Amino acid sequence: MTAAFGLLAFQACSDLFDYSPYLIDFDESNSNVNQKSIDKLKSKSATDTITIAFTGDTHNFFDELNDFVGKINSDSRIDFVVHVGDIADFGLPKQYLWANSYLSKLKVPYLVAIGNHDLVSNGKDAYEVMFGALDFSFVYQHIRFIFLNTNSREFAFNGQVPDIAWLAERLQPSGDFDKAVIICHVPSGDADFDPNLKNDFYATIGRNKNVIMLAHGHQHHHEVYFPMHDSIPFVNVYGGEHRMATIIKIINNQILIDNFAF
Amino acid sequence: MAAFTASDAQTLSPKADLLLPDYVKLQYAGGIGFMSAGVGYTFIKDRLDVTFFYGYIPAQLHTKTLHSVSLQFTAKLIKIPLSDKYQLLPFNFGWFIHHTMGNEYWIKLPAHYPSQYYWWSPGRTAGFFVGGELKTPWLRSKVPASGIALYARIGTRGLYLATKVGNSTLPVSEIIELGFGIALYR
Repeated sequence: MTAAFGLLAFQACSDLFDYSPYLIDFDESNSNVNQKSIDKLKSKSATDTITIAFTGDTHNFFDELNDFVGKINSDSRIDFVVHVGDIADFGLPKQYLWANSYLSKLKVPYLVAIGNHDLVSNGKDAYEVMFGALDFSFVYQHIRFIFLNTNSREFAFNGQVPDIAWLAERLQPSGDFDKAVIICHVPSGDADFDPNLKNDFYATIGRNKNVIMLAHGHQHHHEVYFPMHDSIPFVNVYGGEHRMATIIKIINNQILIDNFAF
Repeated sequence: MAAFTASDAQTLSPKADLLLPDYVKLQYAGGIGFMSAGVGYTFIKDRLDVTFFYGYIPAQLHTKTLHSVSLQFTAKLIKIPLSDKYQLLPFNFGWFIHHTMGNEYWIKLPAHYPSQYYWWSPGRTAGFFVGGELKTPWLRSKVPASGIALYARIGTRGLYLATKVGNSTLPVSEIIELGFGIALYR
């Protein structure tokens, strides 16, 4: 009895026995989160309107993230949530856990893109355990959502990030999707995006005429702009500290962009 | 073969005596390793400890094996003799700086970043703690030491504190680092 109680007490405070700021010992609930969300989405019944809430750059703004989650949970229109990266300000595994402790309270599926801060130190390993591949995609309601690692500077501008060949392959027309949405952290116009890949990036996005929008973070402010001089909107998502988020509705070929405070 | 005892240590040459560490430590957790081994010296009339730790995390507990080093300064502010053999140090205050081995734990911002791009260095994290220690004569006759001390510590580190600031919804327990260990004093 006493031994059992002692064991319980030890387990209760065993989390306090910290081994390293870089320890990655995520449990099942903090593993493979993006794929689990994709699986949940696939079981949702089809509607003619897709409603997505976007946030990003939540860094150390956990109280704000908490309020964002509360607001989303009270809004039944949202199909899923996208975080455009930078959930871990110092790239610490513990910050990944803290951020996910809030995000996992969301009632709807959520997908997290990789941000530059998330990659500092062994953050890449932490992201791969908690969320999965840095580049990934899925099809929902005939739209291919493509999450692309665009944090070129974190990979010392090695010419491989973003992975243009992978993006081109994902955008190749196929029977299961007719439109595509690209989600990334660093936008192509930013100094942290590999300047040698910028033209290829635009050419790839424009090639099949199936990309309907791109959403990104990193710059912490909101705007909708058209850097490719055509009809593809780039949506810059607010940083979490602004207590503002963006809702995007996709209805057939129409995109409606709206912002809300939380 | 004769056992090496505390009295033998005192017969060493003055130079060897000066170089021989004043204590060795073995610590569990405390943010500097799963297990850490330390050696150190005592200064200012046994009021200040300076300890070098090597910390180890086996791959089974992490995605791969982690090695780290720490330099720790501990001020032993209060000493209470409990008897002629036991001594309690109820309020030790410490500060440490910690480095994890590996290129990703850089100290100097790598060249592909503009200056000041990140304000912290993943290869140089620091923290502080308060702790207590009980010095005992246990095993005095079995080990080359004057006895075994048991200690425990509770602390946090700068990067955790920086995260906690402004976040009332993040529990304080999340940023706490507990550790305990044993020390052998010569």
